Amino acid sequence: MNLLQEITFLLKKEFTLEWRQKYAISGIFLYVLSTVFIIFISFQKISPQLWNVLFWIVMLFASINAVVKSFVQESGNRQLYYYQLANPLAILLSKMLYNAMLLLLIGVLTFVALSFIAGSPVEDAYNFAMALFFGSVGFSITFTFVSAIAAKADNNSTLMAILSFPVVIPVLLLLVNLSAHSIGLLGGTQVSRDIMMLLAVDLVLLALGMVLFPFLWRD
Amino acid sequence: MKNAWWKIIGVLLIIYSLIVGLLTPLRTGISDASPTSFKTGETIEINVQGYNSFYTKSSNELRAWLKMDSVNALTANNIEVLDDRNLSLTFILPAYLPTSHKVQDFTLIVDSPKDGAAILPGGIFVTQDSIDVASGDSLWVNAEITNLHEKETINFPYRNILYETIRNLYYHVPLWFAMFILFITAMVKSIFYLRSFNPVHDQKAAAFTSVGILYGILGLVTGAIWAKNTWGAYWSWDVKQNMTAVGMLIYAAYFVLRASFEDPEKRARISAVYNIFAFATLIPLLYVVPKLTDSLHPGAGGNIAFGSQDLDNTMRMVFYPAIIGWALFGTWLATLVFKITSLKERWLDQQDGF
Repeated sequence: MNLLQEITFLLKKEFTLEWRQKYAISGIFLYVLSTVFIIFISFQKISPQLWNVLFWIVMLFASINAVVKSFVQESGNRQLYYYQLANPLAILLSKMLYNAMLLLLIGVLTFVALSFIAGSPVEDAYNFAMALFFGSVGFSITFTFVSAIAAKADNNSTLMAILSFPVVIPVLLLLVNLSAHSIGLLGGTQVSRDIMMLLAVDLVLLALGMVLFPFLWRD
Repeated sequence: MKNAWWKIIGVLLIIYSLIVGLLTPLRTGISDASPTSFKTGETIEINVQGYNSFYTKSSNELRAWLKMDSVNALTANNIEVLDDRNLSLTFILPAYLPTSHKVQDFTLIVDSPKDGAAILPGGIFVTQDSIDVASGDSLWVNAEITNLHEKETINFPYRNILYETIRNLYYHVPLWFAMFILFITAMVKSIFYLRSFNPVHDQKAAAFTSVGILYGILGLVTGAIWAKNTWGAYWSWDVKQNMTAVGMLIYAAYFVLRASFEDPEKRARISAVYNIFAFATLIPLLYVVPKLTDSLHPGAGGNIAFGSQDLDNTMRMVFYPAIIGWALFGTWLATLVFKITSLKERWLDQQDGF
């Protein structure tokens, strides 16, 4: 099997697994909804600036909770079995791809929920969608790789937070900047430059993840 | 002693940068002028406060100008020396200025053979009631600025706002450069580890990272002291300060990660992977993100870097040796940390009866 086939096959496996244990994904959705509800109760009126920041904070925490289980939901022995069967790189990439889709879904849900209770301040929908897309990809790459590191340690959920928050900040700040543009908080014509920069950071992290992962999975 | 030459050079360079950097005086300057706003057609008197100046020693040869642009300047009609630090300058402003601006800023220049020339850039403002460029041109008595003196002795440039804190360039910036050298070395050692699986490389990577964090914190502290004197607060939530703090968190997490493994082989492998990953995120953090938003820091947020305008050759004589000195000293510290950890490890092995 070549890499592409392996990835599609493993992706199917991830979806099946998710579909069988619905509690994980429904837990995340419930998490997003209840956070948005708490935000509404505590703020009542949300300014566009606040909306922008709150959106990405909800997104950040939901993403970490969603991704943290990538490498721990299945036992270590079964993981080792997978690594024998498939290319480890295919396993990493399929997990990144799956998480990117999951995070995109979470992002859309957060957007809908936040817009439902507080209205949507987004003026430039295309740019916002771009930010959401590249943001999901960036979060997915970073968090998946960090969760692979954290899964090797014993107290992995604490370690996940410690390792991933500082590492994700460049991506997060680019995203907040980009979506502030699409909301109309920031003027200027640097949107395409910001998107390019986000893409560059995503690609660097992806390349690094692919180079370093072979050293990570072995036990 | 045979292999200690670079340690000696490092320490000597640091001592040199401390002594020369702290003892060399600043060039003369103008720390204050009052009043600063005038109207055209008046005879004005400006009280000038000098910095490191000795006006009484060359009272007869003092010259002063109000410079409008590269061509036009007014000379002072009378210069009265009050004491070494205080001058009273008298200018006669024409009724019209040869400019179409309502308010024109002037640069004050005072030249003395003893101290050299001092300037206050754009510090004097003149408002004209009505604009008439043609009569401004005809009324203007231009005084060309020639033969400015330079002080003969070694000194550092005088810059408003910076004043004496310009010396911090020899501590804040070299510590920062050296921190980068240490982090790069740590990353290279991590790569070596992943290629050879020799535990020595991992211990060295950890040692270099720990000294790098120390340098980063020192850089942050010296930067905060500089910020207190120039920006007005130790911590002004500037993007450069914030990102540096986050960068230190990334590397602090490296040690948390190391501590969470029992198995030394696993610890070495995973932390080497993280170290390389951390360095790759440090670059966008410190060089991409600060360019996006407003920042007070030179070289960020559209500001020009410090070196392009304010670094002169005298400062370079201290600045570059300081970078080399701190880098060598950091390497020495890292090798010491490495020796301590490897000795500790060996001692623990003996305790276990290996």
